[in-house]
Amino acid sequence: MRRLAGPVAVLTGALVLTGCGSDDAKAQLSVGSAYMPQPVSDMAAGFLDIANKGGAKDELTSVTSDVGPVSVHETVGQAMEEVKSLDVPAHGQLVFKSGGNHLMFDKLKHTLKQGDNVTVKLHFAKSGPLTVEMPVKSATYNPTTGH
Amino acid sequence: MRKKTFAAAALLAAATLTLSACGSGDDGNSPVAVVSEDTATQAATVLDTPFEKPDLVLTDTHGKKYDFRAETKGRPTLIYFGYTHCPDICPLTMNNIAVAKKSLPKAEQDKLLVVFVTTDPARDTASELGKWLKGIDTQFVGLTGDFATIQAGARTLGISIEPTTKDKNGKLVSVHGTQVVAFSPKTNGGYLLYGQDTTVDDYTKDLPKIIKGETP
Repeated sequence: MRRLAGPVAVLTGALVLTGCGSDDAKAQLSVGSAYMPQPVSDMAAGFLDIANKGGAKDELTSVTSDVGPVSVHETVGQAMEEVKSLDVPAHGQLVFKSGGNHLMFDKLKHTLKQGDNVTVKLHFAKSGPLTVEMPVKSATYNPTTGH
Repeated sequence: MRKKTFAAAALLAAATLTLSACGSGDDGNSPVAVVSEDTATQAATVLDTPFEKPDLVLTDTHGKKYDFRAETKGRPTLIYFGYTHCPDICPLTMNNIAVAKKSLPKAEQDKLLVVFVTTDPARDTASELGKWLKGIDTQFVGLTGDFATIQAGARTLGISIEPTTKDKNGKLVSVHGTQVVAFSPKTNGGYLLYGQDTTVDDYTKDLPKIIKGETP
């Protein structure tokens, strides 16, 4: 309970700040922690964080890659649903992680192995596209432990 | 009259729960925190009343009839319900078990049965399932068959799955189970549950115990 109180307070603070009208009312996006677990078949998941330092929200509208079609999925309960876009909140982040939101790669053109790199382009409603090098990690890679 | 007493008691119970929930906020000793601390050191949920093995007679990846109860009798067994068109949790769960299994001595690897039951039998035919599992561990057993049978079997383990549906774009959406159940070779009971955030290390630590039917 106590642990929760901290971030909530911080969040509220951030919201208040935004509400007060910040000068930089534009999204400032950056991407981190991108990885793809080595796929079993011609289908794969991709994970990353999109941080927004700016004072306005943006939306991730589509993702493209030369390895095959990519769609954006949200996990709802035990099923996953394709979504058209996901918000990147002002002063916040959009997180893709195992068990939650993920990028879904379908019909991969060739087999991807640990050590490969996948180039992914993220398209947004307002900001320009971002190109990300997504390393292929082991099939059991866990970003919190790093292996 | 009896019903009324019951309702009153329930109300009282609810009030007590609310009260205790409020109270725990102040002392920083909330039950939620305790649970998360427990899972950090111990991945398995040990069941006081183990599950009976589900009565699943399905088809394996060679297209042969597979009677789950008969085939797994007296063997340390893990079961998971998932589907192959699942990019995230299903392959992660199976790969976590596969990697942990490799750290066991060869004889123990051969004892352990890992059974993947599809929740999407229409797409996961015996051969599709075989192809997918071969990419994870050649010893894993894959089962497919009638969805109603699979759903009923999962339900006896407290695992709820739904049939594959089409979303508004016409794409197929399937559902996977959230738990791996481990069965003891000694009692044949399903005595341990593992959630989807169980890591390779957790399984590596627990598999030697499961092989012996011990509680990790």
